[in-house]
Amino acid sequence: MTHFSLVIGKIWEQKARSTGITLAVALAVMTVVTLTVVSNGLENAAAAVLTIGKADFTVAQKGVSDILYSSLDNGQVAQIQSTPGVKSAVGVLLETERINAANPLFIEIGIQPSDLESFGVTILAGTAYGPDAPNEVMLGWRAAQDLGLHVGDQFKANGTSNTVVGIYSTGISYGDLGAMFPLPALQAYNRVPGSVTLVFVKVVPGQSVAKVQATFEAAHPELTTIRTASQFGRADRNLVFLKAAVTGSTVLAILIGAVIVGNTMLLSLFERTREFGLLRAIGWARSRVVAMVVSESLILALIGSAIGVGLSFAVAAGLESLPQLNGVLHSSFTAEAFWRGLVVGLGMAILGSLYPAIRAANLTPVKALSNE
Amino acid sequence: MSEHDVDTRPMIETHDVKKIYANGKVQALDGVDLSVSAGEFVAITGPSGCGKSTLLSLLAALDGPTSGTIRVGPYELQHLRNADRFRRQEVGLVFQLHNLLPRLSVLGNVEIAMMGSERPRAERAKRAQSLLRDVGLIDLSDRRPTQLSGGERQRVAVARALANDPSVLYADEPTGSLDSRSVSTVLGLFERLRTDHGVTIVLVTHDVAVAASADRTVHMLDGRIVEP
Repeated sequence: MTHFSLVIGKIWEQKARSTGITLAVALAVMTVVTLTVVSNGLENAAAAVLTIGKADFTVAQKGVSDILYSSLDNGQVAQIQSTPGVKSAVGVLLETERINAANPLFIEIGIQPSDLESFGVTILAGTAYGPDAPNEVMLGWRAAQDLGLHVGDQFKANGTSNTVVGIYSTGISYGDLGAMFPLPALQAYNRVPGSVTLVFVKVVPGQSVAKVQATFEAAHPELTTIRTASQFGRADRNLVFLKAAVTGSTVLAILIGAVIVGNTMLLSLFERTREFGLLRAIGWARSRVVAMVVSESLILALIGSAIGVGLSFAVAAGLESLPQLNGVLHSSFTAEAFWRGLVVGLGMAILGSLYPAIRAANLTPVKALSNE
Repeated sequence: MSEHDVDTRPMIETHDVKKIYANGKVQALDGVDLSVSAGEFVAITGPSGCGKSTLLSLLAALDGPTSGTIRVGPYELQHLRNADRFRRQEVGLVFQLHNLLPRLSVLGNVEIAMMGSERPRAERAKRAQSLLRDVGLIDLSDRRPTQLSGGERQRVAVARALANDPSVLYADEPTGSLDSRSVSTVLGLFERLRTDHGVTIVLVTHDVAVAASADRTVHMLDGRIVEP
């Protein structure tokens, strides 16, 4: 007989209690992991915008609720271009539009044809649109494939019918799933003349990107620069709030779960008073009693966490298939999400079982043994 | 006393031990002086509520005295720092209601007493089997306590009490719930322990016949030891 076999035996003996604790942990872990993978997916999708231009860094308006609400005018684009160390600065208007049920957030990029090369665009078929060409569009090759459109076909967007004049590739899947319009045309469609969403900046070779970034931010406090996905929150407050909500939910899940685990373990303690009294009477140290109670809880938490992670896959898949979220939500299962789930499960178990374990260890053997 | 000197003192010695419960309202023990020699078998008798079980729990360091001194072997119990270790290493306990864990096998119930000891796992199992052989229950070692008779359960409890080679065995009404045949089996077991292993035994009982099997009987009344 080992400590482990003793603990497993107790878990098996108290099936109702064990099931209750396992389910509580599983539900909490499922909730936290699902929230984490959903928020990760949203962050990845949002941050993917930054990767399209293959820039050294991107400039956006500081503190907007959504990065697509960022707005910079032509004057600011010119200032960015004239910043020491900047090689090129491409102003781009980004909009999303519902094309069909499968593409509820179809990305539309407004960019001047003269900037296509520095933006990393390669024309795969047809030609680029003219700078002021009305009703002309280029489709990313993935979008063209999905929509079944070719050069010369008509593409309905922004309430107008546009001729597909070219098929392009950016080398970034997010960019290749969208369409490109002449900048003035997309500005007109969206009634934002002279305005761009982001400016994609390339630094002169040999110059320090971080240094140029810092110089720029010091000179333009109303703007922010983004180099990595982790800096995304500088411009997109929604994402920051979402992340904070997930962290808050994690803490809340641990606390609520710990109360449930603690309550169940306390009930179990009352049922097992004589047992603990006996163990103490025959010489079991307090630490051994604590270890036994906490071990029971930890094993149940590990099982519950595994179930919770499994459930989170199912729930995330279910959410993605909902008509309202189809195409919008792309869950991103990362190691961080699993760690977070494990922390929640184990946190619940340790916090919840510690008080009952200490109470069990401090029972007076004589009183515990006389307990009916 | 140097380590080469033989300790000739009694195995158990109490002096003016008092125990008061419930905020001073109940005096369970009122100045108990008791001396038990090594290898002696002493029975404590007396009416219900006279303090027999309280005295036994103090001797086993399950509880502490309100005042007075208690010595068991070299241990001054009122100054004991690690009562768990004392109970594990020096004391064997047998209760009236056996207090076996129903989910564990007979073997497991004996082995569990050794889980805090230094013995390796394999040795623990071996020792438990040996003890069950001694009490005549080796063939029932895989059974659950609920599958045993009262007498058999009490023999398992005795085997558990002996698991860590205690120097003293305390038994609180060990025959209280047994039939006469089982009583004589358990008493025979105690006698063997004393003669074969030199274990000091202190037994609390209501039963005059059971007390008669001891070397000496101590009578208690109202928390004191009195002359019979």
